[in-house]
Amino acid sequence: METVLEVRGVSKSFGGVQALKGVNFALRSGEVHALVGENGAGKSTLIKIISGALLPDRGEIFYLDQPVTIDSPRKAQEMGISTVYQEPLVYNELSAVENIFLGREIRKPWGSIDWKAQEEKTKALFASLGLPYHFLREPMGELSVGLQQLVLIAKALAYESKVIIFDEPTAILTEHETERLFDIITKLRMRGVGIIYISHRLEEIFRIADRVTVMRDGEVRGVFSIGEVNRDRIVELMAGRLLVEAIERKGKKSDAPLLVVENLSKRGRFSDVSFQVFPGEILGFFGLVGSGRTDIVQTIFGLMRQDSGNIIYQGKTVHFSSPEEAMQSDIAYLPEDRKVQGLFPILGVGYNISITFLKEILGSFGVVREKKERNRGEEYVRRLNIKTPNLKTKVYSLSGGNQQKVVIAKWLGTTPRVLILDEPTRGVDVASKSEIHNLIAHLADEGLGIVMISSELPEILKMSDRIVVMHEGKITGVFDRAEATAEDVIRAATGERLISVER
Amino acid sequence: MSRGQFFRKREFTVLGLIVVLAIIFSLTTERFLSVSNLTNLLVQLAGTAISAIGMTMVIITGGIDVSVGSILGMSSVVAGKLLMANFPVVVILGAAIATGLLFGFFNGSLVAYGKIPPIIVTLGMLNIIRSLLFQLLGGRWISGVPPAIRVIGLGKWLGIPISMWIALILILFFTYFLNSRPLGRAIYAVGNNIEAARVSGVNLTRTILFVYALTGMLVGFAGLIYVARTGIVQTNTGTGFELEVIAAVVLGGTSILGGKGTIVGSLLGAFLVGIIKNGMVLLNVPALSEGLVIGALILISVVIDVVRARGERI
Repeated sequence: METVLEVRGVSKSFGGVQALKGVNFALRSGEVHALVGENGAGKSTLIKIISGALLPDRGEIFYLDQPVTIDSPRKAQEMGISTVYQEPLVYNELSAVENIFLGREIRKPWGSIDWKAQEEKTKALFASLGLPYHFLREPMGELSVGLQQLVLIAKALAYESKVIIFDEPTAILTEHETERLFDIITKLRMRGVGIIYISHRLEEIFRIADRVTVMRDGEVRGVFSIGEVNRDRIVELMAGRLLVEAIERKGKKSDAPLLVVENLSKRGRFSDVSFQVFPGEILGFFGLVGSGRTDIVQTIFGLMRQDSGNIIYQGKTVHFSSPEEAMQSDIAYLPEDRKVQGLFPILGVGYNISITFLKEILGSFGVVREKKERNRGEEYVRRLNIKTPNLKTKVYSLSGGNQQKVVIAKWLGTTPRVLILDEPTRGVDVASKSEIHNLIAHLADEGLGIVMISSELPEILKMSDRIVVMHEGKITGVFDRAEATAEDVIRAATGERLISVER
Repeated sequence: MSRGQFFRKREFTVLGLIVVLAIIFSLTTERFLSVSNLTNLLVQLAGTAISAIGMTMVIITGGIDVSVGSILGMSSVVAGKLLMANFPVVVILGAAIATGLLFGFFNGSLVAYGKIPPIIVTLGMLNIIRSLLFQLLGGRWISGVPPAIRVIGLGKWLGIPISMWIALILILFFTYFLNSRPLGRAIYAVGNNIEAARVSGVNLTRTILFVYALTGMLVGFAGLIYVARTGIVQTNTGTGFELEVIAAVVLGGTSILGGKGTIVGSLLGAFLVGIIKNGMVLLNVPALSEGLVIGALILISVVIDVVRARGERI
């Protein structure tokens, strides 16, 4: 089989963080080549470079044995490299046919769109894959995610793609849809299309892949034919020998839990989730994006409502219907994305911090006591080492690490008993990261119950007293600090059920 | 705030423009500096400035209220009718404010609970109220308002019209409110990032309802001032008033994208709009060009605002 796409020595860094370090990768025509690795291993960066969303800093790309520069997704598509993302990027109001031919419509001699020819061609594409095509005139928004994916695959074929990249295609598909997708992938392979298949579900990879490339820390750690490798070997390479210097922890301060979650379920998000949080401990939550971690903590914080199950806080069953209510019970939630749910960009640092505790610093006539506000603001700036000219500086002008510290300060200001941290160090520089880690440990030692969600395994292993692992809305593993290994945690996160300690 | 920062602020630019225009108009016309003209200018400004207090808050939350002209018309009709029936001043004051509050509350409820875009809600209200006005007045005028009430519109203290004094007091109070009350802070937070405000425990519905209801109340009061000043109410009273108020707010530096702005800035904006209108009348410029100048000023300041904001939104 000939090589259709080859990447040689490709490197890419983002502001000091090296995402790819001299990666080599080759895709043959007619093969399904799986790409696996932990979050942050460099898979997405590699895919973005191949599909034209990013340019590499160094290295070469060969397509059909010619050196090429792929500087836009459009160019990639026109060359014959298509990407099908987990959540298909489609125009919801347009029909399937319109989506397929958008920007390269078939025209009649006088320039108007030849609808009939487009529809015929689409039908032919679907028929060649053995698929039904009764839905082609429906708006895309009304099709299921599975059907939307099929439309995008048909689009890739309409461009006569020689490379199709599937980025976690099965994550939100039903079992039936998954089977159908595998059928199609097999057919595409027989036509000689080269397929890059990214998935966290190792069992799928053993089912449909011909070869697998394992990545870690921006490097390729191994390339195997699927017959010469087993699951354990892949997990081992994904985890590596993690050099985690775990911080010193004192652990829980009391056997009476602060927060108990019992059989919490929400349809389509998570099901039958139970865990406890003790004062003085850091409970790490690990799982892939979309595993339901964020949904659970947002439910606790009153941003969502569960279908069934209980949340028991300090011995009482509670239902918070808004963040305001959760905050009154001394629960704080640092959201996952500071830009979306954390920051007030054109307000000053001081106002950003004080918004959560204004009611506690009111003087007569309900007036905010500005001196007190300033003092508390300055206290947090000092304590968290926030680098800002003054409290009036607007937060959009600060660096990512300092912005994150501002959001953390805002939540510390509520003097919480339970502090939920959703990706507390995402997009933060190394120095700020270790400062934030020390702060979290210190807060736990003061007796707070801390729930820390993270996609970074080293962070989870470094910080947590206990680790809860989730996969597709279910808890698949609970580990004590002493017994947690990177391999076990990854196994649980990729769907193996490994509940070793249930408490 | 350092000196440099002050000069870069929008308020300074607007103040500069006001001074320059005042000089130009006093040199080119004889009447501009006359006591009667300046009094007239201030009385006209008072209603705009009072309404702009509420509009500033609405726009800071990222909303807009284009129904204020119709609300002004409606509350002046209510005030006018009650005046003609010789009700006591306190009752009339209460009725004018309550009328504004009623419609403002309605706007706010639809935006806050119905989650309908403010421009649609208030555009609908603009037409509904205007149509109600026609029903109520049936094309007739109200005139010959009793003199007792006209002191609000025409009376003076220390040479400055009473209505302007009231406007200044309200501006001081609400400036303090916006900076020092939790609800005031919530208004800025909502305009900066509504999702972050929700997660931070801000009561979104209460905040949004408040700004529209308050705007209605203030406009209701401005309606009373209008009756007191002119002594006449017609079916088209207040038509176009919304643009004047929005112009004042936007020229005064409040971002149409939400999140920042000051009431004092809006007062200066109201002065700028008022002086332009007044000067053009004195210069005998055709009335139609007035819209041209004010429209152009709004566009210029919004463009400056949007371009500047590109680096600020993260």
